[in-house]
Amino acid sequence: MSLSGVLRKLPSFNAIHCHLNFVGRIARQQPYSMYQPFVKEPTYNIEKLEQLIESGEAKKREFVPVKAARSDQNVSVFHDELTSKFINMVMEKGHKEIATKLVETAYMKIKQMQLAKYYKATTDAERAEIELNPIVIFHKALENCKPVLQLTPIKRGGATYQVPIPITENRARFLAMKWMILESREKERKVHFPERLAYELLDAFNNTGKVVKRKQDLHKQCETNRAYAHYRWG
Amino acid sequence: MAVLRELVVFPSKCLRGVRSYFLSAPLFQNGFLKLNESVSKDGHALDLEQSDTKKISKAMKSYMERAKIHDNFIKQQLHEYNIGKRHLANMMGKDPEFFTQADVDEAIRYLFPSGLFDPRARPMMKHPDEIYPKRKAAEFDVNGRPYHSLFYTSKPNYYTLMHDLAVKFKQLDRHEDKIISRGIQDQKPTELFLFGSEWIPKQKVENVLLETLTDAQYENLIKTFERFSQHPYSALEKDFIMQFRRQLAAQVEIQQVPELMRDESGRPYMTYNTRRKTSNAAVKVIGQGTGVISINGNDIHFFQREQDKKQIIFPLQFSDMLGKVDVVATVDGCGTSAQSGAIRLGISMCLRSFVNAETIERMRLAGLLSFDPRTRERKKPGQAGAREKFTWKKR
Repeated sequence: MSLSGVLRKLPSFNAIHCHLNFVGRIARQQPYSMYQPFVKEPTYNIEKLEQLIESGEAKKREFVPVKAARSDQNVSVFHDELTSKFINMVMEKGHKEIATKLVETAYMKIKQMQLAKYYKATTDAERAEIELNPIVIFHKALENCKPVLQLTPIKRGGATYQVPIPITENRARFLAMKWMILESREKERKVHFPERLAYELLDAFNNTGKVVKRKQDLHKQCETNRAYAHYRWG
Repeated sequence: MAVLRELVVFPSKCLRGVRSYFLSAPLFQNGFLKLNESVSKDGHALDLEQSDTKKISKAMKSYMERAKIHDNFIKQQLHEYNIGKRHLANMMGKDPEFFTQADVDEAIRYLFPSGLFDPRARPMMKHPDEIYPKRKAAEFDVNGRPYHSLFYTSKPNYYTLMHDLAVKFKQLDRHEDKIISRGIQDQKPTELFLFGSEWIPKQKVENVLLETLTDAQYENLIKTFERFSQHPYSALEKDFIMQFRRQLAAQVEIQQVPELMRDESGRPYMTYNTRRKTSNAAVKVIGQGTGVISINGNDIHFFQREQDKKQIIFPLQFSDMLGKVDVVATVDGCGTSAQSGAIRLGISMCLRSFVNAETIERMRLAGLLSFDPRTRERKKPGQAGAREKFTWKKR
């Protein structure tokens, strides 16, 4: 094989591999999907759009059709992608208005509690430390709840082992949100969901509370099962 | 000794012979797109019939019979076509000598009016070349020996193309080696000339090669081309690659932006009718406004849900036209989400006439100018819903 052949062996292999994936995606098209597989997702966020144009990716998309923006996507200053995702997870049986109201009430509670703390504080230094924006608190709280490892059952020699494996960004976000909702839904008299959610979010923001503990428990379990980690391969 | 030397020389000679023929084949010299012309060489194949009648193989004989029948048939069709054309010209009162295909179509449309929906089902009169598929000329000589070394693959043109690609790949590799050995390494990946075009579909490849391909073969060809075009020096073979690519139109150019209209008071306006799910919306966006929004006679509070109100504002805010235009919309059918979605598309489409091309492209990337085709999925028989199954336990 020529020198350049050897040099290009790896990237060209990757190219073929990518292409095979691409072909596979066409074959495994979602049944009843209204869009063709090559149609791109919309980029409605103005900052992201700016990035898209700067990186030159927008130039390439000139020739590709784009999906219509969803009905919960907009450029309002109050719009937050993560929050709308969370609202969808809180939602039951399609009652989106109720879910939105619950989450927004929780935000309001957080704001009230933080403001109360803010006014109680005497010095400017103390006040500067208190975060007043509930959306920032929510983002930080979720970040604190995201696990980095998870356990998956793998069968080896007749026995099933709980094997720790790395977790994807999507799955980590899902677990954090799920735990947050489950902890907030625990029945307790006279404390309703929004209030509990507000407490949980504030706790998680400070890296304490049940949800963070749940994450740490999972990490601990992964730590004890680290001997099985090699079962992931082979 | 002489015999031995000949034995040694023979294989290499033989190979060289095949190779040189292979390269001098008309296919390679004239490029692939001229393959269609090989049909006209039918006559040349038939000349052999008169000159050498002694040693004709069975394959050639049957081919010549078939070619003769086909030739006569096409001749007959052409004759009928020409006569028909003259008749039509006389009927339409025009000069038969200058009667074109466009005139024929017009005459047919006038003389044989059809209520059929599908254009292909309506009466027509076309040149036989357009109606009857072209055939390959004889691929073997009078002795039944094929001209082409890849004849027995049954798809010689396809495999020649693949072989040609491999040869060119090696040439590029050699070129790259040369460049590297000289110590020049500033070649950029040449993705540029592929920009805005795509590989031609299977049907077109088949027309070029005059051979039917399987899906797997087409996929293989495209994969090979893809790899070939990713070679850092593929720009050297640009012309060759571009024969198998076709230009794409930019998405913005596909949708024509209509000119603004003026009402009695001289204010510019634009209208658009659209739908989403089963709701219909008629939207009118009026320029030089103050941001008044009217939906079915109400203001924006026609929608009670905040999400719907935000949907109405979305395109206006995105294109920075909030407070500069008035919106008048009527909407009916379906739920509030679909209604607001329909109005959103209507407003975005109208706003195209008010903003510059750059903003239109940004709106397109944000998914504001796309029709949302998603609708309720039907319930399936034997299932509880569209996807949900009935509860079922084996025992």
